[in-house]
Amino acid sequence: MSQLQVRFFTENAKYKVDDVPFSIPAASQVQDLSNIINKLLEAKHSKICHSNVEFDFLVRGNFLRTSLVNHMEAEGISTEEVVEIEYVQRFMAPQPEECIMHDDWISSVDTESEWILTGSYDKTARIWTQEGKAVMTVAGHTDVVKDVAWVKRDGVTSLLLTSSMDQTAILWEWNVERNKLKARHCCRGHAGSVDSIAVSPNQTKFCSGSWDKMLKIWSAVPTDKEDELEEQRDRPRKKQKTEQMGLTRTPIMTLSGHIEAVSSVLWSDNEEVCSASWDHTIRLWDVETGNMKSTLTGSKVFNCISYSPLCRRLASGSTDRHVRLWDPRSKDGSLVLLSLTSHTGWVTAVRWSPSNEQQLISGSLDCVVKLWDTRSCKAPLYDMAAHEDKVLCVDWREDGLLLSGGADNKLYTYRYSASTSAA
Amino acid sequence: MIVEASSPTIRQHGSSRVMVPGMEHLLRPARHFLSDGSFSVQYPVGYTVFSPRLTLPLSRVMNSQACAFRLSTFHLYFLKSLSEDIRNTVGNVPMEWYQDYPHIGYDLEGKKIFKPIRNKDELDEFLDKMENPDYWRTVHDKMTSTDIRLTDEQISLVHRLQSGQFGDVNFNEYEPYIDFFSGETMIHPVTNRPQDKRSFIPSLIEKEKVSKMVHAIKMGWIKPRKPKESDLQFYDLWAKEDPNAILGRHKMHVPAPKMKLPGHEESYNPPPEYLLTEEERLAWEQQDPEDRKLSFLPQKFSCLRSVPAYSRFIHERFERCLDLYLCPRQRKMRVNVDPEDLIPKLPKPRDLQPFPTIQSLIYRGHSSLVRCISLSPSGQWLASGSDDCTVRLWEVSTGRCMKTVEVGGAVRSIVWNPNPAICLVAVLVLLNPYLADKLVYNATDQLIASYVEPEEERPQPVQWQVPEIEDSDKGFRLIITHPKSVKQVTWHSKGDYLASVLSDNSNMQVLIHQVSKRRSQNPFRKNKGLVQCVSFHPIRPYFFVASQRCVRVYNLIKQELMKKLMANCKWISSMAIHPGGDNVICGSYDSRLSWFDLDLSTKPYKVLRHHKKALRGVAFHKNYPLFASGSDDGSVIVCHGMVYNDLLQNPLIVPVKVLKGHTLTHNLGVLDVAFHPTQPWVFSSGADATIRLFT
Repeated sequence: MSQLQVRFFTENAKYKVDDVPFSIPAASQVQDLSNIINKLLEAKHSKICHSNVEFDFLVRGNFLRTSLVNHMEAEGISTEEVVEIEYVQRFMAPQPEECIMHDDWISSVDTESEWILTGSYDKTARIWTQEGKAVMTVAGHTDVVKDVAWVKRDGVTSLLLTSSMDQTAILWEWNVERNKLKARHCCRGHAGSVDSIAVSPNQTKFCSGSWDKMLKIWSAVPTDKEDELEEQRDRPRKKQKTEQMGLTRTPIMTLSGHIEAVSSVLWSDNEEVCSASWDHTIRLWDVETGNMKSTLTGSKVFNCISYSPLCRRLASGSTDRHVRLWDPRSKDGSLVLLSLTSHTGWVTAVRWSPSNEQQLISGSLDCVVKLWDTRSCKAPLYDMAAHEDKVLCVDWREDGLLLSGGADNKLYTYRYSASTSAA
Repeated sequence: MIVEASSPTIRQHGSSRVMVPGMEHLLRPARHFLSDGSFSVQYPVGYTVFSPRLTLPLSRVMNSQACAFRLSTFHLYFLKSLSEDIRNTVGNVPMEWYQDYPHIGYDLEGKKIFKPIRNKDELDEFLDKMENPDYWRTVHDKMTSTDIRLTDEQISLVHRLQSGQFGDVNFNEYEPYIDFFSGETMIHPVTNRPQDKRSFIPSLIEKEKVSKMVHAIKMGWIKPRKPKESDLQFYDLWAKEDPNAILGRHKMHVPAPKMKLPGHEESYNPPPEYLLTEEERLAWEQQDPEDRKLSFLPQKFSCLRSVPAYSRFIHERFERCLDLYLCPRQRKMRVNVDPEDLIPKLPKPRDLQPFPTIQSLIYRGHSSLVRCISLSPSGQWLASGSDDCTVRLWEVSTGRCMKTVEVGGAVRSIVWNPNPAICLVAVLVLLNPYLADKLVYNATDQLIASYVEPEEERPQPVQWQVPEIEDSDKGFRLIITHPKSVKQVTWHSKGDYLASVLSDNSNMQVLIHQVSKRRSQNPFRKNKGLVQCVSFHPIRPYFFVASQRCVRVYNLIKQELMKKLMANCKWISSMAIHPGGDNVICGSYDSRLSWFDLDLSTKPYKVLRHHKKALRGVAFHKNYPLFASGSDDGSVIVCHGMVYNDLLQNPLIVPVKVLKGHTLTHNLGVLDVAFHPTQPWVFSSGADATIRLFT
């Protein structure tokens, strides 16, 4: 059995070991290395004050998932030199918490610090507590609710948004104390199903992307004034009355440029909107001027995108099995930084971790939600295979709550302690 | 005078040429008169005449004209000269010279021989001929002007000579021949003379001659003889022949096929495994002689001696000769090609991406086989019709069934209106053959509602109905009731006209409806075969009608038949028009797909036989150069079908992917295929009640 010269280091001062090379078997697995570190720590500290800790190992910034020699062969690292191995405390597996049953497929989910908002194919959105108790049913759309979003919480009232296939998005005001829901504004203007909405970081505007290839920017501030809607004039009066939910609102701005349906929008900062479309592009727009800033071109239809302000990268899910990472600042580049490949179906939802710049979750049509670390692009950290049907939406709350909903009418929540990360 | 001879043969010295008596007249003898009045006959040099003894009295002179036979003058002369003393000595001169004289010549004593006093005239001659029994043997001697009666011996001699025999009766021409100079080497010398001295002493004269010649050669006086220039010019018949030509003379030699060498079976003592068992022998006997592997039965003999004669020897020789004679001596040129070269140079499929490669979504919900699918122009919705009498609308991206519409019968065909401004789905129903238009948008409702009744009612082949309110809530907007069940519907690209195919044998197989005016018409008066499917040209006012074996292209404005495409297949099942409009593909139940280039020919440009079973559906992609075919074998084959704008360049057809996923149900696999309008995705509906999306 061949031996390898390795040197261990970590950034966590708590688990530091001596910086000397060790000779270890080349076929060592993660568990063997973890045992070695634990032995070393035991030797360094007294046996009492050290409890056994599971570690994960990074060789040149990539997680070790196979035996050491195989990994180095795959990565093309010379086995002659001393190998620098970083070790971090292993992330604990997400613990399943709740399974919230819905009446129909769950199309979207958004969480706030306390509440969970889900949109469903039964034309309603629902507000749940974290424990899975239904608080409110948001009914008003005449067609499937495709996306939901919390706007802001202002004391006892919360503003929330739902968008639907009936070509509208509705801004609701929810009084938490009295548990009263009121439709404040019905945002009309799209000529196709509104598939995606995103609220700006300063919570004053929101953007919607639709099947009619348009992006529209709306004000998210509820007012009592009704906007004029010209093309509504010739509609039958009666119908308008029955369908109207709240005051009509017209968009501030329309961003056109996509040649196919817009599938996903997000705000990367207060002035910039990023949209993914079926025309195989991700476009960045300047909201102030309404101009398109740059285009990232892929080869497949984009289903979803997510942006992490921590690492300033875009993650995209396409109609293939890869999660791709992009740098939105690259000018007109179609450069894929990284492909995370393990899914077997279309990736329908991705979401970066709000707290960890290297982690993201993705949901796919293969019924699995995967937790990824960008340092290990071949294998995810964890698979969450609770769903029995297509996963359609995922979310990640800042305190480590993971949510995923799908076509099996179930919303699963997981508790994930990302705080154990050494970084 | 008598010439005596001891031997009857004539010999030529140095040769064995033999001359027989009686044949002498072939030679030209020279006669020499001797002083005593006799003469000798001298034959050409080298011949010695040995003549048989002949004594012929030439008593009478006969008229040669009346003679039954003719003898040459020489013969008569010969005979006469040998027999009597009445002899004319004038020699061999023409007797006409003595015409005016009373005599005819001179005898041996020099006296005149006088002519007979009275010449015989014709009458005398005739009387003589009639009366004289010896007339036939009487000859006239002109020399003496006498008639000579030939004796019996003479007659017999003449007979013998005439018949080519020897004159002498006793002559035996086949006597043993004694050769003086035999080929045998004698042990004794012929002469006893000692050898000459000069035979063993070199000749001085010759030496002198030779030395002179040597000197002359040295001095250069004698030059070697110039080689004779052969100025013979031959014409080379084959000079201009190309030696490499296929029919080159020498290349055309085809050696006879070799006979098979005898094997163990032919042995007189074959190994036991070559001997036929009883059953094998019976089988051998039962077989037709031509089918037999061996033409004989292997037999075992104890020793070679006891092997009998082979009874079929002659027969087999004959067969062999027949084989050689009848064998075709035709030269088959061996084509020495690398099999790789025969495969057309096609681009690799991965260079032709994008095309669907993997199954992505399954749309489940139907309870029976899904006969037809159609995509909305935007690509967001998928409509499907099934044998469970429902029409379902699906969200493409998630596979969600958004709507289910009950119609009264199995849905055979469903088409989404190609105009994006109108949201209508034409659905057609088998059992209750009516047509339902289904509406999602209000604008479409207004369009339909804006219909104004025409003032005068025209007779229409079908009934147009506005559905009841409850049906209208379900989505029906217009119902067109056909007299027979409807097989297929298709929209015109503008979205106002739609054509339907009725399963009817009469002339009313195809109807064209106009939705905005709610009018229908039957474009064809005559029934030209069972119509399988119809289609509108995407740009021009052409109308494609596929019957069982051919596709007819009609110009709707000129109302005439433009083209008739012969599909070379037994039964067309489906047809698709390239969005450019110049290319048509036809799927057929005999598992062929024919690609027609309308500018090229009315015959298929290419026939693809990739499927193993009948094709049920074919489709072209609107934007990508792709077409797909679905078959009963449960597979969808996607091909790259690039049509170039350059008219000189033929379409490039490359099969790129076989997509499998549908399970075979009731021996049916894929029933319909459709492409997504904007993405390189293909949908297939199958008999397993699912619709599958391949991306």
